[in-house]
Amino acid sequence: MYGATVEPVEDARSDEPRLIAFEARIAKGEKIEPGDWMPEEYRRQLIRMISQHAHSEIVGMLPEGAFITRAPNLQRKMILLAKVQDEAGHGQYLYHAAETLGATREEMIDALLSGKAKYSSIFNYPTLSWADMGAIGWLVDGAAILNQSMLAKCSYGPYSRAMIRICAEENFHKRQGQDIVITLARGTPEQKAMMQDSLNRWWWPTLMMFGPHDSDSPNSGVLIRWGIKTKTNDELRQMFINQMVPDLRTLGLTLPDPDLRYDSESGNWITGKIDWDEFWRVVKGDGPCNAERMEARQKAHEDGLWVREALASYAEKYEQGNL
Amino acid sequence: MTDTQWPRYIVFQQAKIEEPHQYAGSVHAPDAEMALMNARDVFVRRPACVSLWVVPAGVIFAKTAEELTENPALLDGVEDQAKAPTQYHVFQKATHKGTYGHVGDVTAESAGEAFKQAFATVAQCSAAAWWVFTVEAVTQSTPEDIEALFQPATSKPFRDQAFYHTVAAMHTASRQIRTQTQDTNIDER
Repeated sequence: MYGATVEPVEDARSDEPRLIAFEARIAKGEKIEPGDWMPEEYRRQLIRMISQHAHSEIVGMLPEGAFITRAPNLQRKMILLAKVQDEAGHGQYLYHAAETLGATREEMIDALLSGKAKYSSIFNYPTLSWADMGAIGWLVDGAAILNQSMLAKCSYGPYSRAMIRICAEENFHKRQGQDIVITLARGTPEQKAMMQDSLNRWWWPTLMMFGPHDSDSPNSGVLIRWGIKTKTNDELRQMFINQMVPDLRTLGLTLPDPDLRYDSESGNWITGKIDWDEFWRVVKGDGPCNAERMEARQKAHEDGLWVREALASYAEKYEQGNL
Repeated sequence: MTDTQWPRYIVFQQAKIEEPHQYAGSVHAPDAEMALMNARDVFVRRPACVSLWVVPAGVIFAKTAEELTENPALLDGVEDQAKAPTQYHVFQKATHKGTYGHVGDVTAESAGEAFKQAFATVAQCSAAAWWVFTVEAVTQSTPEDIEALFQPATSKPFRDQAFYHTVAAMHTASRQIRTQTQDTNIDER
């Protein structure tokens, strides 16, 4: 979702000549690097987007982490473990990228733990069955990859490079998810029913991940002009729908949308109306698992306190030569 | 929350023995030894690493082409303590799209001097940006660490997308659908 909840942007016109040079660099496809001049609004938007994205990776470990001990076999368990470990790493890459813009890691983590910062609303939905590991991998990560492949081309060098790295690893996540969906959809009637139930629950929240419609997304203009985004929320969402619908149908699964139809003129699959009230409820903290996710992060932070203290104490003693 | 932020270490990763160390990112850690462990967990979960370096962020001297064009006298300033001739590593970012890679070492008495030496020898003036830091600022993995730190990554082929034959499985599924549709058509006739 990493771009869904954006506040209106003021036009930064104060530093005209530098701004013109800056926008010319972006137009030429150059990357903006940490030491370079940039409009304050560019920095602010990037910190907001990158830190939200980092938080999403960290909170994103929770729904799948719950199923590591419930994996159906050792192979699937090792795969899920490696995937969740990757998400932790992605959070770290991204916090690092935000730090190059002057945000401190401590500030960002405090913002997450105090509930001030946002993260992708998708992770506020519960995981109820093993099939959800398939749906998250194929649908949720598949949706994230579309957004991230776009961000891999963004104008800010460190964010772009973090994205290239993350996309390579996310492709494994998507494939392992697809593998689970195929296995269940082509399995026993019980497995197939479990997969269908999972798709019914994840389909709409996944479509919401791309953020509000373009008409309700006031920042898209400036984000596109500065090369942070190169596609709009609706463009990415349509790409995703066109990609997923035929494949899911091929597997004999039914999309939970009675209004879904193929428009032969545009070549697009057209969905029914997205429930934006639900989206905003979840973003504003009232989703099925918001409180649970926050509690889990706070507990992890508190439980880790003694480790951080021990490490700091060791480093101090070592420094003083007392070891 | 009582903890305050740990120092930041810049991480350099060497993918193959014949390739230079390259800037990978940064980690926070209480000391260099932990920084090396964190760097391994964050940046080397996939294969292709034979050596890792960590360097405290505060001891790296950075210059960009943009800065030096605006103020060529920048290199005359003494940013670090003058000292006996010391060996410095020189990292260079060739273009705005690339990353910092190790291009060689110079011996100098200050960072400014090291930049000048670098431009006369291993560095290209046409590049986009440069870093120098003393060789002694580096904490690195040793050849004995390779097996423990970097080998485990090679034994997890399931983290490669090619491990999953989903493309073939989707083909099979759509072939079956076509066959079923044909069967139905025959029945209807």
